[in-house]
Amino acid sequence: MTQFSHPHDHDQQARHDSQEHIDHGGIGKYLIVFAALCVLTGASFFTYSSYWPFGKHVAWAFMVAVSCTKAMLVIMFFMHLLWEANWKWVLTIPATFMSIFLTLMLVPDIGWRQNNGFARYSYERLLYAPDPPAIEHAEAEAAEEEMSHDSPH
Amino acid sequence: MFAYQPALPIPNGKTCLWLFLSTEIMFFAGLIGTYIVLRFGAIAWPAPHDVHLSEPIGAFNTFVLICSSVTIVLALEAAKMSQTTKAKGFLLLTLLLGGVFLGVKAYEYQQKFSHGIYPTKPHGLVHDKADLYYVAAVRQRLNDLRTEFTQKNEPIRKPIDEISKMVDDAELAMRNEPASEQGRIKAMELAFAIYPPHDHNSVAHAAAAGAVPESAVMRLVAFQQNAPQDGESHDAGHAQGFNDRYPWLRLPIMIPGGPLWASTYFLLTGFHALHVLVGLIVFALMLFITLDRARANLVENIGLYWHFVDLVWIFLFPLLYLF
Repeated sequence: MTQFSHPHDHDQQARHDSQEHIDHGGIGKYLIVFAALCVLTGASFFTYSSYWPFGKHVAWAFMVAVSCTKAMLVIMFFMHLLWEANWKWVLTIPATFMSIFLTLMLVPDIGWRQNNGFARYSYERLLYAPDPPAIEHAEAEAAEEEMSHDSPH
Repeated sequence: MFAYQPALPIPNGKTCLWLFLSTEIMFFAGLIGTYIVLRFGAIAWPAPHDVHLSEPIGAFNTFVLICSSVTIVLALEAAKMSQTTKAKGFLLLTLLLGGVFLGVKAYEYQQKFSHGIYPTKPHGLVHDKADLYYVAAVRQRLNDLRTEFTQKNEPIRKPIDEISKMVDDAELAMRNEPASEQGRIKAMELAFAIYPPHDHNSVAHAAAAGAVPESAVMRLVAFQQNAPQDGESHDAGHAQGFNDRYPWLRLPIMIPGGPLWASTYFLLTGFHALHVLVGLIVFALMLFITLDRARANLVENIGLYWHFVDLVWIFLFPLLYLF
């Protein structure tokens, strides 16, 4: 405990130097990470080409996975978080959690706007949608005073 | 006995920068999260070519940013070893690569602006659907053009008259037979004549979203295919509308989901471009400093910021260009 509560400047300096010494061998490592990032960018661009054999949704999942891998490579190596002490968790974990919660809190918005599935929308949503499918038609029917008020679908 | 640590085992500047970065993570997470909610909750979303997005250009810009991330990390390594000239060289290279990124971005923005796709009203020509308001907006623009070109000769008046006839037909059909599909089909044909969907699937998508009556889809596809073809640009082979053939017309255009797309695209890329710009300003200021071992912390801090900007683009590129 005492060595933590009374850190000697000299010790810290020495530790700092040794850490820098470890980092020095890293130029080759950075180039490998660079090559990996280029390959991964090519991989997500591949989903755009006509040679992509799987469907759109597989492409989305693939691109998210590739993006997360690229992000981890940048964070770990270029931003040196791989070699940092435990303080890194103090900053990254709360920020990550708040980001995830923020996005999750937006999700009910989708739930409230959509009835069920991806195709049907609630009435409130339809009012402001770019292409309300059959509302004009329904209104025209109402204008003609047709008593049978069929659902537009 | 309990004792306090005086500080984190890193320089104060780095602590501050990481605190700032954690707020930035939440800032961009909010923006990207909102984009995802809007994009996947939207009833219609434009295909990339409908809004002049070029995937190869986006991929090139991704490559440029990755390169700049490498050069700034090499600048840090050089600064740590007090190789001041080398450090400055890599810093200059990073500055240039960031400039290339912004230049490409400006070119991409210009592509959108030249087709009337703006984030806000005064210049924007994009309408969500070909309804009565759209037809009225076309008529308004035609009237403005007529007063503008009263002195001009016949060839300029010809496209105006051609479009005017379509506007009249659409409005008549909408007014006389409001219950019939004919008005909406005519308005759709008008929109396609002015600005045809550049993506071949867009008509089918519009039909799936309910924008076009099923019975009209075949007719609209034929209409789209009979339009004059364009041979030279990157989306070669797409039908050329009046706005392509006569750029001075600048008639209102119809892109389902276009206004929402423009808002989110310009907001996300705009905030990212602002971050790039801030980084470039700091790089430019640092060119006047000797980047030796004593300044390595400074290089590391701006490097961390720059990697974060790269990180945001890593997510923006697939989301905006490839999804």
